[in-house]
Amino acid sequence: MLLKRSSVLGASMVALALITTACGSTGGPASSSSSPKGTITIASFNFSESIILAHIYGGALKNKGYTVNYKDKLGNREIVEPALLSGQIDLYAGYAATDLTFAEGKLGVTADASSDAAHNVERLNAVLNPKGVKALDPSPAVDQNAFAVTKAEADSNHLVKLSDVSSVASGWTLGGPPECPQRPFCQPGLEQTYGLHFKGFKALDAGGPLTYAAFKSSAINIGLVFSSDGGISANNLVVLQDDKHLQQADNIVPLIRSAVDNSEVTSVLNSVDAKLNTIDLTNMNKSADVDKNDPTDIANTWVTSHGF
Amino acid sequence: MLATGVVGAVDDPWIRWDWTTRHLDVIGAALSQHIELTVVAVGLGVLIALPLGLLAWRERVLRGPVISLTGILYTIPSLALFSLLIPITGLSILTAEIGLVSYTLLILIRNIVTGLDAVPAEVREAARGMGYRPRKQLFQVEIPLAIPSIMAGIRIATVTTIGLVTVTALIGEGGLGSLIYDGLLRDFKTPLLIGSVLSVALALVADLSLSGLQRVITPWSRGRATT
Repeated sequence: MLLKRSSVLGASMVALALITTACGSTGGPASSSSSPKGTITIASFNFSESIILAHIYGGALKNKGYTVNYKDKLGNREIVEPALLSGQIDLYAGYAATDLTFAEGKLGVTADASSDAAHNVERLNAVLNPKGVKALDPSPAVDQNAFAVTKAEADSNHLVKLSDVSSVASGWTLGGPPECPQRPFCQPGLEQTYGLHFKGFKALDAGGPLTYAAFKSSAINIGLVFSSDGGISANNLVVLQDDKHLQQADNIVPLIRSAVDNSEVTSVLNSVDAKLNTIDLTNMNKSADVDKNDPTDIANTWVTSHGF
Repeated sequence: MLATGVVGAVDDPWIRWDWTTRHLDVIGAALSQHIELTVVAVGLGVLIALPLGLLAWRERVLRGPVISLTGILYTIPSLALFSLLIPITGLSILTAEIGLVSYTLLILIRNIVTGLDAVPAEVREAARGMGYRPRKQLFQVEIPLAIPSIMAGIRIATVTTIGLVTVTALIGEGGLGSLIYDGLLRDFKTPLLIGSVLSVALALVADLSLSGLQRVITPWSRGRATT
């Protein structure tokens, strides 16, 4: 999902950084052991959800006696992933399908992310382990492409799953990013996998303000959103279940350098992941992006209330 | 695309005073980091520029290369420079400072050379006539007379650096830039506004203080300015 969030600016600036990384220093290991249990540097991407997740991992590890440093809002994946591989950071909350596609892309391997999170993580480990990085257990929490309708529409037509839409699709307009009619996960996928043939398509943005405005003015009936976006509930929308698995599984998954990982760190992160879910994630995103609470405070509250 | 943080439908006022009062410590820390990054950058810049500027002024052959090299540094887009440095110097203050110092050099060196060039030939002649040796002439006659130009360079470099520091937010530093960046990412006007206003205010205060300092250390130019 991050690929869509990355800015052209970021991508171009980092292309340069990548070239230099390829040519030069591998970077030393991040500084370790000022505390008996060692130091872990956690980075986040440049959006609230990632900052919240970094501080949830960090809060849980800190309570176990680790020294935690943060590199918040470090940038997009083009910055964060190389920083992990070169040891400038030790850990970040990745997204199973997107991180897999990114890592395979750099290797020139054909992307094979699927709607199965376990498969994606297994493949991630195959690609990243030789580079000293491990992917831990995927969380049930997911931030991936999803299709939403207004709550009113869902209630009156009894819509829960995407396949429920088939009875009304012929009179509906679909909203999504301009590339939606070409992308397999978007309009073509809805047609082939679900047999949904809409009356029309409206080019908007990828789950941003334009999409929300289009729902508000009833210009669209169904639109592409990100499953954990805080704006979904704030705009009285509901996400329909992807019951035929059209979308690649972008479950949250910790990516950690093997050098700082040990059985305790693994078990802390895996148990955090097991307790995270998409509804929590959506609520925390709303708290940060809509209500403007501090991502770090939101994360601390979650850590405390879940007993980490 | 930053749009995912932008939820649109909710009204966000230009400034939320409750947020501001709860984050005074964050704002204070951002401001002091901003000042620190600026002072270190301009300070190091002056330390490097002074000998280079003197050298470029005395050795005519070196002038072209020094000015064009620092000119090239100056034209590298700041975002690109910072990200080019990340693989070498990491995500550190050092990366930020190398970038910031590089941008001060052209302004400072040019002003040093211009200032020294502008010392009137007859003043130099008179100094030599009075028996000044070259070193004494440099430090007691030429450099003092070049101070207005050098100080003008320092003022421009300082104001430029204060603006550039905000960009280092993208590599995890940034002083007030980190507030601006937070505001951009969350479509949250309060930190955006506070970061921008304080950054502008800091530039104004710094410029005024430096111009005050210049008046104090060059009392002679004050008299001349009024006639």
